[in-house]
Amino acid sequence: MSAPPPSGFHVASDKPFLVGLAVLGGSYLLIIGAMVLADLVFLNYSDQPVLGPEMVRQGRYTGDEVVVSVEPDRSYYFRKGNNEAGLQLGQQRIAGDGLFQAAGDRAVLLPHANNKPITASLRPEARVMQIAVTNQVATVTTDVVHGLLWGEFIRVSGAGEPGWNGVREITDTATNQLSFAVAGATVSVAKLSLSKPNPLVQALRSRDIRFSIKLSLISCTLTTLLSLWVAVPIGYMMSRFEFRGKPIIDTLLDIPIVLPPLVVGLSLLILFRYIPEWLSDAVVYKWPAVVLAQFMVACAFAVRTMRVTFDQIPQRFEQVALTLGCNRQQAFWRVIMPQAKGGLLAAGTLAWARALGEFGPILVFAGATRQKTEVLPTSAFLELQAGRTEGMLAVSLIMIAAAVVVFVIARTLGMKRIFA
Amino acid sequence: MIALENIALRQGSFELSNLSLELASGEYGVLMGRSGCGKTTLLEAVCGLRNIAGGRIILGGRDVTQLPPAERGVGYVPQDRALFPTMLVREQLAFALVLRALGQSEISARVDELAELLGITKLLDRTPDKLSGGEAQRVALGRALAHRPSVLCLDEPLSALDEELHGEMCRLLDRVHRETGVTILHITHSPSEARRLAGGHFRLVDGNVTRDE
Repeated sequence: MSAPPPSGFHVASDKPFLVGLAVLGGSYLLIIGAMVLADLVFLNYSDQPVLGPEMVRQGRYTGDEVVVSVEPDRSYYFRKGNNEAGLQLGQQRIAGDGLFQAAGDRAVLLPHANNKPITASLRPEARVMQIAVTNQVATVTTDVVHGLLWGEFIRVSGAGEPGWNGVREITDTATNQLSFAVAGATVSVAKLSLSKPNPLVQALRSRDIRFSIKLSLISCTLTTLLSLWVAVPIGYMMSRFEFRGKPIIDTLLDIPIVLPPLVVGLSLLILFRYIPEWLSDAVVYKWPAVVLAQFMVACAFAVRTMRVTFDQIPQRFEQVALTLGCNRQQAFWRVIMPQAKGGLLAAGTLAWARALGEFGPILVFAGATRQKTEVLPTSAFLELQAGRTEGMLAVSLIMIAAAVVVFVIARTLGMKRIFA
Repeated sequence: MIALENIALRQGSFELSNLSLELASGEYGVLMGRSGCGKTTLLEAVCGLRNIAGGRIILGGRDVTQLPPAERGVGYVPQDRALFPTMLVREQLAFALVLRALGQSEISARVDELAELLGITKLLDRTPDKLSGGEAQRVALGRALAHRPSVLCLDEPLSALDEELHGEMCRLLDRVHRETGVTILHITHSPSEARRLAGGHFRLVDGNVTRDE
């Protein structure tokens, strides 16, 4: 026997294929990670000073010095724009953003180039001028317009008196006054300092957002339970039985998935014009509408998941159970459901997450009334409408946290099932 | 005993009609036929898992044609064994007994007895994924025998086992047959396997069952 002749046949390397897979998959994973990370990084977690009005005049650099008059020894907040290198006060040079103590009375902007718009910002830190306490409400007068709104929060520190320090809700405002409840005697002006708590604290303290967190958690849980209640029988039926009209039912089940969510809400709203008034009064624009709107969409996903789950469990198990003495119901509960636990968990998690993010149908069918039908996506929307991007981001972070917690719980339970 | 009288079966385009088979009480019947000739379908019909289009099925002297599978008194071991993945071996063996609401002591006595008979006493606290092919086969056999059925239906019980285990499993089936006196209907596609087993041999060819003498 001679050795086989060299064939001259070579197979191309697997590397390009594997690298391609990694690049295509990796790019998506990267975007997912970067997206969440960007949210986390963007939000300012530190407290912000209470600032007065803008002192830099709008305009362009013409070659002349742009000068802003400041009070020596007063605290100012400087934010560099695109066209500035910093700020010069005599010998003092401010290159970065933040609070600084003015060393002179003449602040000069340092432009990168001429004939560009002025984009820097210089604002004085508000100083407390006067404190009055009546009926346990402190009214603080500031030397500049503070720009805070009723319902926002303020962090009080350095009071040196019990019942003052901490985050307090602003109960009343005037252009240079703000009031908040305190439990203690009046304190001296010199010691008190005010700052704005970070947006996350603001959001978690806000009564509206607290309500929306509560409503979101309760409605999503209700929606999940309702969805599973319906998805298990439908999924089982679609997986196990053949009957006339099955393709039609299959299509119907997909409608909430393919319809634009807004249309689902609108369709519900229109449907409720045709039902008895007492029922529609109890649902539309009230919290049951939130649950119903979430349920219509979330349930469709739960049904899909349960159907796939049951499809993956061979019918053989039921058949054997039937010969051993089960009726169909017993076979379902004793043999099939224990195997469907993982799928049930997946369907529940999916329904919960869908419900948490549902916005369009809720807006149309339940409205966006604060303290009534406001869920977290609605809060995010209302924050955006009010121009508070940071507030919206804070609400988004709360939603991310809620979703992560639910996923971790589901995964842990799922793991237990696997490793048990 | 098993008596099939003029059974007609339909499944999609597949059809069997006028099929008859008789197996005396306590007999070991081996039904042979090529793959796809309807053996499994026939077995499912005996167990009540498939509706028949015509004819009668008599098991242990009772006409069970209209009875649900649970009331037919059959033990069924499918080809893939279908052990319940979420249950311990002990729970599988006790499954039929729990459904019959037997007492705890009675159930554990029966489970021990079955485990002894099948040589699986050491496996009682395992889950099916920790069993070898031969072990799984024994457990499936035990589960089907637990409620003392009058008829045991085996679908290709040896096909998934390697050659070495064949002989062992044949002896076990023989022993089970002797000790329990159950009527067994064993289907296989392999004539060599059929030759190793004692008892009545049947062939399913072109929709007709004939008995080898």
